[in-house]
Amino acid sequence: MPMPMPPNAFLLVSAILFTIGVVGVLSRRNPLVIFMSIELMLNAVNLSFMTFSSALHSVDGWIFVFLVLTVAAAEVVIGLAIIVSIFRSRQEIDVDDLNSMKG
Amino acid sequence: MLAGQIAFYVLAAAAIGSGIGVIAFRNAVYSALSLIVNLFCLALFFLMLNAIFLATVQVLVYAGAIMVLFLFVVTMLSPENDESLPTPDRLGLWQRGAAVGLGIILAGAIGYIVVGQAALHPDAVATGAQDLASQISRNGNTEAFGQALFHGFLFPFEVTSVILVAAIVGAVVLGRRTSSREGE
Repeated sequence: MPMPMPPNAFLLVSAILFTIGVVGVLSRRNPLVIFMSIELMLNAVNLSFMTFSSALHSVDGWIFVFLVLTVAAAEVVIGLAIIVSIFRSRQEIDVDDLNSMKG
Repeated sequence: MLAGQIAFYVLAAAAIGSGIGVIAFRNAVYSALSLIVNLFCLALFFLMLNAIFLATVQVLVYAGAIMVLFLFVVTMLSPENDESLPTPDRLGLWQRGAAVGLGIILAGAIGYIVVGQAALHPDAVATGAQDLASQISRNGNTEAFGQALFHGFLFPFEVTSVILVAAIVGAVVLGRRTSSREGE
């Protein structure tokens, strides 16, 4: 099955999703939502990997997507564990108030 | 070809809309739910790009495992008041109607496939095994993915296991109750 649209269309969607993720990381103060925005950016990059892989008839991009999936899973596990332990010790998780390690 | 283009535009609108929903909702639970919608849209994009295996993995790992973890933590830690979440009593009539409608559509689609033999696409009947093999060698599928992963990219694949073990150990250490340390 050929690609239904030119690769640029997929790349445009990927770029828009990545931008939304960047805006979310910069503008939200709930660390959980920041993590979700990071997931959004990772998925946008995955989409562009897949697009290039499909456009160039290569499987290499799929491998990268696979590895990004694995790293994202590990990152989410560790990040959520850190957030939970911060919440246990401080009872609030607003990133603006987490300034005890400020240099 | 036209159907593919319409599907692309619908998917792109859904993906971008749910992406905006992730960062726009005040309630983190709604953000997580719209992120699930976004991940499903991405999986459908992968299907559109002929990556059946990775679309399945996307749904299983991301929308299945990672988002369940997210929802657990969000509902556990959510500092916002829970009054904004609709309880079953306050579900709007349109929500019940939409749920029933989508259920009817799903049952109809499954019944159509099971009863009407619609699983055999006319192209699939016409091309036959010979053309399917050439298509596999050209576009790649799960077999090509496995070949590439276990022949060309074996070392990164093995390094992945180290990352996962480190993540498991880190999560266990971070998630341990501090009271158990006092009991030692």
